[in-house]
Amino acid sequence: MGFADFFSDVMSTLTYAEAQAEAPAEAEAPQEETPVKSEETEESTDDSESAEETPAEDSEEASEEGEAEAEEEEEEEEEEEEEEPEDIKPKLEEECANSSQCAPYKHHFDECIERVTRQEEDESYNGPKEDCVEEFFHLTHCATACAAPKLWRELK
Amino acid sequence: MLARSLTRVPTRAIARQSLGKSTRASSTAAGAESASSPFYLTLTASLATAAAAGSTLWYYHLYGKEAFAMTPAEEGLHPTAYPWVHERFNKTFDHAALRRGFQVYREVCASCHSLTRVPWRSFVGVMHTVDEMKAMAEEHEYDTEPNDEGEIEKRPGKLSDYIPHPTRTMKLPEPPTAGRHGGCNYVFSLLTGYPDEAPAGASVAEGMNFNPYFPGTGIAMGRVLFDGVVEYEDGTPATTSQMAKDVVEFLNWAAEPEMDDRKKMGVKAVALLTGLFAISVWVKRYKWAPIKTRKIVSASVG
Repeated sequence: MGFADFFSDVMSTLTYAEAQAEAPAEAEAPQEETPVKSEETEESTDDSESAEETPAEDSEEASEEGEAEAEEEEEEEEEEEEEEPEDIKPKLEEECANSSQCAPYKHHFDECIERVTRQEEDESYNGPKEDCVEEFFHLTHCATACAAPKLWRELK
Repeated sequence: MLARSLTRVPTRAIARQSLGKSTRASSTAAGAESASSPFYLTLTASLATAAAAGSTLWYYHLYGKEAFAMTPAEEGLHPTAYPWVHERFNKTFDHAALRRGFQVYREVCASCHSLTRVPWRSFVGVMHTVDEMKAMAEEHEYDTEPNDEGEIEKRPGKLSDYIPHPTRTMKLPEPPTAGRHGGCNYVFSLLTGYPDEAPAGASVAEGMNFNPYFPGTGIAMGRVLFDGVVEYEDGTPATTSQMAKDVVEFLNWAAEPEMDDRKKMGVKAVALLTGLFAISVWVKRYKWAPIKTRKIVSASVG
């Protein structure tokens, strides 16, 4: 990485590369296929919906099939929702915040939170109002700086 | 040339002689008078040095320390430096990331933040094909030139049109590199930096959100990027930080669309200048060869 890449970049810069504003011909074939598929599924959903809406006209079997299809699609949708990606950044930063690297900042932050919540809960407290923003800054800065290279390895 | 090198040795000798003479003369002259004065001279020099040091210290005492009237909260948390690949001098933008970033801009940011200085055509060949951009431009309506009756009608967009204003316009901190200091790191940190809850005791005004990276920590814009809010067409998991990274790189492209070419031009310049330097060294050697290989013999006549 780095140094060797530099020479390959120089070579690619000096050689003449053709810029393509049009989509490459190979990529077009799968692009055409996908909309057809989606149309098919849309049609099938339309059928099942219409079957559900007018069960009196069609036979019971047809409506059952339609329901079964609808259920399957619902399940698929649920699965897709379950697959929702989870961000790794908060996890990395929490690991960093709890590591020995950020221990002093974490210690001060926790102590501050404890002190300030005690002051807020204590009604007879008349001292100066305090916040933990600075302690939060120091801890966050330490945690994000520690997590930055790890995060970039994970991201595309 | 020949004359100069011949006369060099005698003139040097003369110079040395005259220098020796003059120094001896001055030292003997000073030695006669200096018997009573060294103490005063030393005192004067010492006082001058002390005054110089004192005035410097006095200046530092008066003006040396800069006054910081702002609290860290008002200053805002300085963004963390992320290892952006496109910021390296020998790297280009990741154009797949630009394409994803534009998708994030269109689906999330574009409802409030304008990008009116960028025409549709500038995406062609960078992250989209001509047909894709034509279709995208046609989704928007633009005013025509007044017709024969002076009426302005609507027409579908063309590649030469600029990205239209959103209905609710706000000023984007874009272009990120020219905007607030911190550039890409600032925007990325801001977008991903909304904590689950503000730290204890922090005051957050009504209708504002706590974000440590925004100066004053209270920002009107709420968190907009949540995991899976966009579905990427290339299948990349659309996590908050992935979307933020892509959209920041895209905004950096919007600010510096010439960056790839600029770096290419830089390497071209380096290649040309090193080539010219190498040629000039060889030419110099060639031109100086007879002079450098010449032997000068001085022989006394008679």
